[in-house]
Amino acid sequence: MTQERFIDLVRTEQEPLRRFLLGLCSGNASMADDLAQDALVRAYVASGSFLGLSKFSTWLFRIAYNCFIDHCRKATLDTVSSESFEAQSVLSEDSTDDAFRYQQLYQALDRIPEKERAAIVLHYFEDHDIKEISSIMQIPSGTVKYLLSTGRNHLKEYLSI
Amino acid sequence: MNGKDNIEEFLRSTKPQVKHDPTFLLETQRRLKQVEGIKAEVDRQRSHGRVTLIVTLVIGIIIGAAAMFIGYLHPVDMSQVDAGTFDKICIFLTTWKQYLFIPIAALSVSLALLLSRTRKVQF
Repeated sequence: MTQERFIDLVRTEQEPLRRFLLGLCSGNASMADDLAQDALVRAYVASGSFLGLSKFSTWLFRIAYNCFIDHCRKATLDTVSSESFEAQSVLSEDSTDDAFRYQQLYQALDRIPEKERAAIVLHYFEDHDIKEISSIMQIPSGTVKYLLSTGRNHLKEYLSI
Repeated sequence: MNGKDNIEEFLRSTKPQVKHDPTFLLETQRRLKQVEGIKAEVDRQRSHGRVTLIVTLVIGIIIGAAAMFIGYLHPVDMSQVDAGTFDKICIFLTTWKQYLFIPIAALSVSLALLLSRTRKVQF
């Protein structure tokens, strides 16, 4: 795949990719963008292995998810938590109500396990179906349904809904 | 409306908002250019290593063959020479000259492997 072709594909996918990672990073925009850049470099290096059997977005999200998992393994969770609510830069432009909703959401997302968070973010924020999530996270469909169910229950508890 | 619907509605209506960032793609392009640079350098190093390996192997084979050839062209009557250290070496080499190419080839292969691995990509 040429660099131009890759950039063309990324141009349409960059916003969903950044939003996906923003959700995974519980609102930490700078960390999400750093991970997105890493994921894009990894994807470009591995672009020869993309055979077009799945959608480009599914393939890219899988790489991004793996980047996130690698990052979680390396980083200490304390550091992640202390930086998680850097979303103020995004929130400052919204109304107070919206800011509060986002803050609540990110705090709740930060408290649930990474796999549940990934399933929730992919399903509710990126509108991926179970099959696509299963392909991105490389887990069986039944496990995705289980993660969505437990994730919803955890969020319901933390968000007091 | 049950709890599941409530949480689903909340999640669908509270999608994270990504700020439009025109520098994001520029940064991506900059990084991809760096990757291209690294790829080109790695390819250059690989081809340099291959050439070094082939040249050293060819030289090793030529030297080995020449040593064998000279040994056969100039036979020495060992009964005529003193048995000093140098002569002992000569006798040994003359006795085993048909296998002389093996250590020479082994040395040249080792040298080739060593030379092809010493230089590293620096960025």
